[in-house]
Amino acid sequence: MTCGMIAGVAFEYPQGWLLGLPLLGALGWMMWRQLRQGLSRSRVLMLGAVRILALLPLVFLAARPLWVAKDHPANASRAVALLLDRSESMSLEEQGSTRYEQALAFLRDRLLPALKSARLPVQAMLFDETVEPADGPKLAGTQPKGKHTNLGGAIAQALGGASDPPLAVLALTDGIANESSENARALSALVDSHVPFIGVGFGSEQGVRTLSLRQLEAPPIVPTRTSFGVSAELEILNAEEMPPFELLLYRDGQIAQKKNVAPGAGSRTWLENFQVKEDHEGVHNYTVQVLPPNVSNLKCVSTSANASVRVSDEKELRVLYIQGALTWDYKFVSLALHNDVTIKLTGLTRTSKQSIFRQNVESAGELMSGFPTSIEELAPFRVVVLSNLRPADLTPAQQDVLARFCGELGGGVLLIGGASTFDSSWQNTRLEQLMPVTFSGSPGVEGLDRPFRIQLTPEAMENPVFQIADNQPAREVWAQLPTFTQFGRVDAAKPGAHVWMVHPLENGPQGRRILMASQRYGAGLSAVLDIQNFWRWRLARDCDPQQFDRFWRQLFRFLSDAGRQDVSISLADQDLHPEMDVQVILEKQPNPKNLTDTNRKFFVRVEDSRKHLLQEEAVELEPLRPVDFRFHADKPEVYTVTVTDPLKVPISSRPIEIRNLNVEFQNTSRSMETLRQWASVSDGAAFKVEECPAASDLVLQIKAKIEEVRRGRHNRQIVGVNAWVLSFVLACLATEWTLRKRWSLA
Amino acid sequence: MIPPTCNRSKGGVRHPGKELCFRSPCFGAPAPRLLLVAVFLFFSLSAGRPGIDDKQATFFMGRVKYSSNDGNDCGGVGQDLMRLVSRASTLKIQEERKVRLTDPDLYETPFLFMNGHNDFVLTEAEIENLRKYFSHGGFFLASGCCTNPNFPKAWRREFSRIFPEEKVKPIPYDHLIYRSFYTIEHVRCLNEQRDIQLEGLFYQGRLVAVMCEDGLCCAFSANNTCNEGKGISPEDGQKLALNIAVYALTH
Repeated sequence: MTCGMIAGVAFEYPQGWLLGLPLLGALGWMMWRQLRQGLSRSRVLMLGAVRILALLPLVFLAARPLWVAKDHPANASRAVALLLDRSESMSLEEQGSTRYEQALAFLRDRLLPALKSARLPVQAMLFDETVEPADGPKLAGTQPKGKHTNLGGAIAQALGGASDPPLAVLALTDGIANESSENARALSALVDSHVPFIGVGFGSEQGVRTLSLRQLEAPPIVPTRTSFGVSAELEILNAEEMPPFELLLYRDGQIAQKKNVAPGAGSRTWLENFQVKEDHEGVHNYTVQVLPPNVSNLKCVSTSANASVRVSDEKELRVLYIQGALTWDYKFVSLALHNDVTIKLTGLTRTSKQSIFRQNVESAGELMSGFPTSIEELAPFRVVVLSNLRPADLTPAQQDVLARFCGELGGGVLLIGGASTFDSSWQNTRLEQLMPVTFSGSPGVEGLDRPFRIQLTPEAMENPVFQIADNQPAREVWAQLPTFTQFGRVDAAKPGAHVWMVHPLENGPQGRRILMASQRYGAGLSAVLDIQNFWRWRLARDCDPQQFDRFWRQLFRFLSDAGRQDVSISLADQDLHPEMDVQVILEKQPNPKNLTDTNRKFFVRVEDSRKHLLQEEAVELEPLRPVDFRFHADKPEVYTVTVTDPLKVPISSRPIEIRNLNVEFQNTSRSMETLRQWASVSDGAAFKVEECPAASDLVLQIKAKIEEVRRGRHNRQIVGVNAWVLSFVLACLATEWTLRKRWSLA
Repeated sequence: MIPPTCNRSKGGVRHPGKELCFRSPCFGAPAPRLLLVAVFLFFSLSAGRPGIDDKQATFFMGRVKYSSNDGNDCGGVGQDLMRLVSRASTLKIQEERKVRLTDPDLYETPFLFMNGHNDFVLTEAEIENLRKYFSHGGFFLASGCCTNPNFPKAWRREFSRIFPEEKVKPIPYDHLIYRSFYTIEHVRCLNEQRDIQLEGLFYQGRLVAVMCEDGLCCAFSANNTCNEGKGISPEDGQKLALNIAVYALTH
């Protein structure tokens, strides 16, 4: 028996001992033979003893011995670890008192007396993002102000803080845990130490009323003397009635505009817009700040957000949109570009086999003859979109012009269509060479008209084109898109093509059916989007039209050289907050004008909003080989990541805003699910405080759980399989061999 | 009145010449005019037969059921409007779909049509849905049947509730909707000494809903038999309706 334990040796395969019987018989027979051969009795006994000593450990091991240790039932040195949540969400007031006060009253009036009468000692600890031991006065005098809740860390600390694990971990919390970095450690500690987790949940399922400024939207580039909108997305939750409040717009730190907002009643999300106009070129930082109304128990998740706008008169990006027929696609793409004056959309539509329709042309004669037949006519455009067109709709000469536009002029070509557009008619055409994919020659591809959702590839999730919301990971945003009904018969991506979207279920000859892909074609870029009626995304009831608009603007900039930086700077999929290492992905783009460019050495610089240099590193970048870069964001502000060439000339730059979101108020409803999960992995239990049994019954249940877990808790170790036993056996065998040699025995 | 050919005007710059240009196939060079007019008329009449279950179709029009109206006033008006649109587009068209303003199908239908004779009131849920529908890019055409004043009066009142800062207002004749297909300088009322006036609702400067109080649906659909001698002539009505539909498809 060890301290606090009952210990002993047990055999997992006791029948192994029976192996000793034939061995013993064989040994006896050998001794009898040696006596008959005239060997002296002392020598026979000596040899027999050595052989028994060698065989005994082998028989012992054949029975598979185990060292088993069990907890002593009367171990009085171990206590119940009590974790009391002091994070800020516990300061929320419900039914006249805060959650922390409710937990404290429950502990003082009900739980502690019952634990004491059951003779279970208690080791109390306070936790938020950290953990510290606490006595009665400290518990009573603490204000719940922790900015994060790390329940996993607290559990791990409770289990690992003492030489003996506690009898149980008892947590009084609202279950709103927003730090998960130590969950894995806590989970393995709970399982290894066989300690039950008992959770008691405080707070309401509904939560309290909150006001938050979710994000600030502004166009990244605007021309001078042109009005543009800076839109604040506001959210109110659980508020029946909210009085008016003020919004302030700061321009480069100075108050520029003020607005009174009447939010009305009910939970909702809406946009408040500031109209801004700049007379001179430059970069400006706009900040919107909410001045919350003076309402009791109103919590604010975030009250300010930033957006950076570059004011520039650089030449606009022109897109030529060619349609096989008037469709809704053109209208909705046009709406997406409505507020972006730097992208101009020109339409050219075939309205019947004999007629065309022009929109937004710049001069009376532009495109008068229909689709351009010379590269000079296409030169003013940076991107050409072919929507619902087949190769047969263009003459070979027109197809050749389009291919030269992409390959020689470095223009972008996007092909949009669905099952009726993309088929075997593309095979062996000039346009097929542009395409990043190959189409099925078979008309019998099934499943084209079954509803499906878009699935982004991991590569797309890292690409800025697909980052259509600022404070939400790309995969979540794209998962919320509506279902679509049809897609084209794509068989496979061409070598070197980038696949951005795939069908979630349907497989082609080479993996999932491709819904969007792009590839380099000469100096330009070509892409295909083979989802029919893609416009349905913008009209869909539950979708945010701004995300649709942002995708199209980013896609057109991506397809044109104007928007393509020599080095792309994108954010990895992560939730941004202060005091974190921000992961940035740098990728050098091939330079179509100089394919022999061999420069690999670059510098990455991180500056804060006051242009103080925080970090600078040399990096080696090769085309299309992403490189990770990390910097530490200490506090909330706008950081700027700039990539420079060896002469320190900036070539790419991106502002990254780190906001001080009060994550404790992002979701204020009690999370019993969190407590149930911790309880289920440790054979524990979770109770809502209002459904909690009488304190004495609760303690009985806690004791029962402790006992239940302890009954199943045995420390088992295999005995005897080690170098010492092996050496002993070898030594016995060597002795036996030496004696036989010395006595000249066979 | 309406000139025989259409001019184009867009982006603040007006140019003489045709918006609708006759070309040989493959976006190529001009062909003999008379022959192509004949070809155009042939395609106009034969194209656009509504398919009932055409999965390739981009559904075009939702016929709105509202209040006690079940969307059956001037019964053939939906098909007639789609037939008109098929002159301007090779868009694949299905049967009109009856839709309530609270149906989820509303958000699958980028063009809605509503007509009627009588007063009506929209519920808060219908108003809220319309607000979202317009902000997401939907378009709405309404027509008072047989110049009955009750429907237009109710439409103005109810649609002015959708956006608190936007009221229904007349659409001046220099608006692009009068030039989106045909160039329409003025449309005269048949029974009064005045021009026909379209009215509309704007959202962020964009025209999202259009209403004509002078029996537009009777003109382009029923050959004005139910509204004889009043409102708009059938010829003007067809051109006006086509302009509205093409405007909705392109803006």
